[in-house]
Amino acid sequence: MTIEADTPVIQTYDLKKRYRKTPAVDGISFEVESGQVFGFLGPNGAGKTTTIGLLLGIITPTEGSFRLFGGETAADLHSARQRIGATLEHPNFYPYLSGRDNLRIVAGVKGETRNEIDRVLDVVGLGRRAKGKFKTYSLGMKQRLALAATMLGDPELIILDEPANGLDPEGMREIREIIRELGQRGKTIFLSSHLLSEVERTCTHVAIIQQGRIVKQDSIVDVTSHGVAGLRSADLNGLESAVAEYPAARWSRRRGDRVVAELDDGDLGALNAWLAGRGIHVSHLSLEARTLEDAFMEATGATETTEAGEAPTGRAGTDGRSEHRMGEVP
Amino acid sequence: MIGAAFRGEMRKMWKRPATWVTLGLFSLITFADLFDEFREARKDPADPFSFPEAWVQILGEEIVIGFVFASVLLILLVAAEFSWRTARQNVIDGLSKTQWYSAKLLLLPLLTALFLGIRILVGGAMAWAGTDAANTATLFGLPQLSALGGMFLAGLGYTSLALFMATAIRNSGPAMAVWFAWFAFGERLLAGGLGSLFEGLRPVLRWLPVTTFNRLDDYIQYDPDAFRRASEWAAEHERTVPELQTLRPAILGAALWVCALTLIGWLWYRRRDL
Repeated sequence: MTIEADTPVIQTYDLKKRYRKTPAVDGISFEVESGQVFGFLGPNGAGKTTTIGLLLGIITPTEGSFRLFGGETAADLHSARQRIGATLEHPNFYPYLSGRDNLRIVAGVKGETRNEIDRVLDVVGLGRRAKGKFKTYSLGMKQRLALAATMLGDPELIILDEPANGLDPEGMREIREIIRELGQRGKTIFLSSHLLSEVERTCTHVAIIQQGRIVKQDSIVDVTSHGVAGLRSADLNGLESAVAEYPAARWSRRRGDRVVAELDDGDLGALNAWLAGRGIHVSHLSLEARTLEDAFMEATGATETTEAGEAPTGRAGTDGRSEHRMGEVP
Repeated sequence: MIGAAFRGEMRKMWKRPATWVTLGLFSLITFADLFDEFREARKDPADPFSFPEAWVQILGEEIVIGFVFASVLLILLVAAEFSWRTARQNVIDGLSKTQWYSAKLLLLPLLTALFLGIRILVGGAMAWAGTDAANTATLFGLPQLSALGGMFLAGLGYTSLALFMATAIRNSGPAMAVWFAWFAFGERLLAGGLGSLFEGLRPVLRWLPVTTFNRLDDYIQYDPDAFRRASEWAAEHERTVPELQTLRPAILGAALWVCALTLIGWLWYRRRDL
């Protein structure tokens, strides 16, 4: 299979998967270019894992097609798998074998050496526990072993399905660093996650999937480059409902102690005048950077997300930011 | 690639406690069974437990227990891969579905030979101890080779049925239960039920898999001397004199069943999502 340099690594065309009458993936089309760290963002049950299963050829599509490294036949898919390192859902290993023995099985399939096993074990920090049985590992260690297995053989495309699941904040940071480093080395990474902040901090591009459909896809820079209006007032509830009624507001929502809104015209003065006319006195008005969470809200029409990183239910990230998890989108 | 996959199977089998439990248990049962024969024979010098007569006991019908153990181990090795999702991960890692299934297919002759080998090794050691050193020319001949071939095929039959159950059911416990139920009474119940309802079906029902494999388990059918001795003994003790069977149709039938079961198992496995 010969691949031209500018051929996208992943291409999907109206890909569908239905289980009886229930659509799990409902006509998704996207492209992942070489060298991108592509975030596949969506709440649990949105169709992320099914999409990866389809791409890896272990789930048969109901309709549509896809190409990996430009090839789309069964033979192409088999040779493409030699260039991919992937995990799907949970880390899948033999519980009675040690971490190292599990990697030996994978290395045997990929034609890799013992040195390569040692290298990836060191990268994920499992060198000392490599002799321990997989069933004795914590979930975090299992995730690390899965990441080590995907890195065996230095694949061109790495597909990771919720790699941060079960990790503590420090573990999440380490995994993020490894992914960043892989991205910097020019690897193409397809990262499925329901963690907004993980995608925002790790990825160069993002596609948001909701109920089996892609509702937005763009580069992270483009998604977050638009400004949004940030407002503060003593009457925050009044401010929130007034901004929601403002005709030029595409969307608005509360973010901490202020209200943010994306405006069609970007005219902050007109917004301020409109609010003043309704008796709302704004104490602070500025142009702020739009977050991936804002983009997600806009794309999905959701009114709120479950923020596990913030009080009262949250868990703070190690670098002071919060891990935002998406709840079920109405 | 298939070599790497098979080496992987070896590593998994070697490190799996279930392998050693089944092998150990079968060795123990075999030893207990043959040692009883050995001890009885030592009391009666006219009926020694020595070669070549001991082959009747070594390759007797109890060999089926070995095939039961081989089938159980095969189900444990294969079906668990679906529960642990390693069957799926192996394919993601680069094995094709064909390669994955082929590596499992190679386990059939391996396990059959392993359990057959234990029986021969344990029984052989005891018979060797009782065999006159001058009589070693009669240790192993064409009848024993034919018997081993036939029984090996029977073993492949039982294990291919197990592989079929493992890939179709994809869960060790239920697969073992269904395999054992079919082996122990399911097939007989089916044959009996259908045979009484449709008399014309009876000749066909004699060719169901377990019935077919069973025909290959009878050592005296391969060894004319052993058959003669068994017939004389039966006549002497007013028992039913055994009938000499033509084994060729049974061999062909068993071979066809092995091909059919592994092929259907493969098609079923390939068709379903992992």
